[in-house]
Amino acid sequence: MFLAIKELSYTKGKFALIISVIVLVSYLVYFLTSLAYGLASSYTNAVNKWEATEIVITIDANDSIMMSFMTTADFDSVDIDGEKARLGLFPAVINNPSADNRLDSRVNAYFFGIDDDSFLKPTEAGNVILQGNQVIVDESLKKEGYAIGSTIAVSGTDMQFEIVGFSTLSTYQTAPVIYMAMQTWQTYRYNTETPPNLFSGVIVRGRILDTADDLLRYTVDDYIATLPGYAAQVLTFSTMIIFLIIIVAFVLGIFIYVLTIQKSPMFGVMKAQGISNGYIAGSVVTQTFLLVLIGIVFGFILTIVSGIFLADAIPFAINALFYGIITFAFFLFAFFGALFSVSAVLKIDPLKAIGG
Amino acid sequence: MKALIEMINVSKDFLQGDNIISALKPTNFTAYEGELIGIIGPSGSGKSTFLTILGGLQKPTTGKVLINGMKFSELTNDEKSKIRLDQIGFILQASNLIPFLTVKEQMVLYNKITKTKVNSEWMNELFAKLGVDKLKNKYPSALSGGERQRAAIAKALYHQPNVIFADEPTASLDSNKAFEVMKLLAKETKAQKKATIMVTHDERLLAYCDKVYVIVDGVLTLKAGHVNNQ
Repeated sequence: MFLAIKELSYTKGKFALIISVIVLVSYLVYFLTSLAYGLASSYTNAVNKWEATEIVITIDANDSIMMSFMTTADFDSVDIDGEKARLGLFPAVINNPSADNRLDSRVNAYFFGIDDDSFLKPTEAGNVILQGNQVIVDESLKKEGYAIGSTIAVSGTDMQFEIVGFSTLSTYQTAPVIYMAMQTWQTYRYNTETPPNLFSGVIVRGRILDTADDLLRYTVDDYIATLPGYAAQVLTFSTMIIFLIIIVAFVLGIFIYVLTIQKSPMFGVMKAQGISNGYIAGSVVTQTFLLVLIGIVFGFILTIVSGIFLADAIPFAINALFYGIITFAFFLFAFFGALFSVSAVLKIDPLKAIGG
Repeated sequence: MKALIEMINVSKDFLQGDNIISALKPTNFTAYEGELIGIIGPSGSGKSTFLTILGGLQKPTTGKVLINGMKFSELTNDEKSKIRLDQIGFILQASNLIPFLTVKEQMVLYNKITKTKVNSEWMNELFAKLGVDKLKNKYPSALSGGERQRAAIAKALYHQPNVIFADEPTASLDSNKAFEVMKLLAKETKAQKKATIMVTHDERLLAYCDKVYVIVDGVLTLKAGHVNNQ
């Protein structure tokens, strides 16, 4: 510790450079993580909000809930130990009939048809009853100028809805969710005043004992993996993040290694004087950790500051667990990088220090 | 007089290709407390082999090294490191100061490594004696060659070792500075009852030594008729 800190403070300039690399990369990694998590959350918030264990749709739907048509008989065939609820799900384009430019006010959304007494109904909207053209919408629509009592029009139809409540964290595939009564949803979905009594899926909280043979069960995680683009996006982000961490480990490892090699005559003298390998190697590893620590503290601060300024513009969400894992990974990989130097220290021959 | 470091029947052979090179012929050597011993010899004569075996940096082929009566050469490398740290002070040619520590911190490092308390009283006494008290907060790069070598001597003496190894301690100094450093070394050896073993090319320094050994082709012989005339 003593040697490590003394050297850092003596050669500030040299170490400031490497710290700045760590700051930039850790900033990038934390920022990407928040972005990735924010984006992934906006895909799945509405699903996670169900607090469900399993989701059932038809086999014919081929993993696409929007192509699943379920009947009351299907619903009854889902034998469970717990709760179950019907869900109708279909995308829509909405617009604001009172906007100056209706075309500009178009927003992609998902219509969720639910039963008024089901656990799928967002509780934070308060004690409202969903019936007729009344809807609960995700609070992100507030930014679009909607308020309680506002009217939402559905593009391509002459349907109009009235907002009776706002819900939080209700986005599906990054688009806001609009909750409505099942019958209203069916009217929209089949575009007729006398729609068939069909819906998209059954959401289950608890344990499924049995279902009809033409139905397929998904755990929530499996279901999320079927969302178009979700897996690819998560994979892309995680690959970038993991590689960045490994690159930092290499940069740091190489830097420390070069410094160690430069200092090997000095380490040789120290060894000749009886300073143990352990002490010298410990000092090299401590130095690596100090560099990483200083770097990621600044990187973290930058991320938080950026998050504060950008939270409205981009899906930015902090997940303490991911941050913890990434921070741990930084230290772990940096430690591996430092091991090169440790092996170099072990190889330094104190004999060379004494040239007779 | 107490023997601080002894070599009993030590030899060192190297294998070079198929030939065995005898770098050090069987040698007996003893350094007593208060003795400043000079070792001279041409390059390649076995001086460094002698010094590195004495310091436990190489294992002898035969024989043993005793430090303070303890069988030093038979210890493990880690144990030898510890003995070197506690019992031996080094003053090396290329000054053994660490570039990013101040003169004072060079001393403190020993306490940090051994987790002991800083002996400020002794440190200040040493600094005063060696004339480095005004330099104690300076980094080695800010010191002149002579100042650096005096700081190195302070470092070698600070942890109160029994034995001091000096490898060309005055190599980078002009004559006046070199004599000044030698005087200090001789004086401290006597005052602290150390055994100092100095390897040098510079025959003028031998005047400060109590005994001089010549090493040629791996054979160590006491130089007859040498007197300490300082």
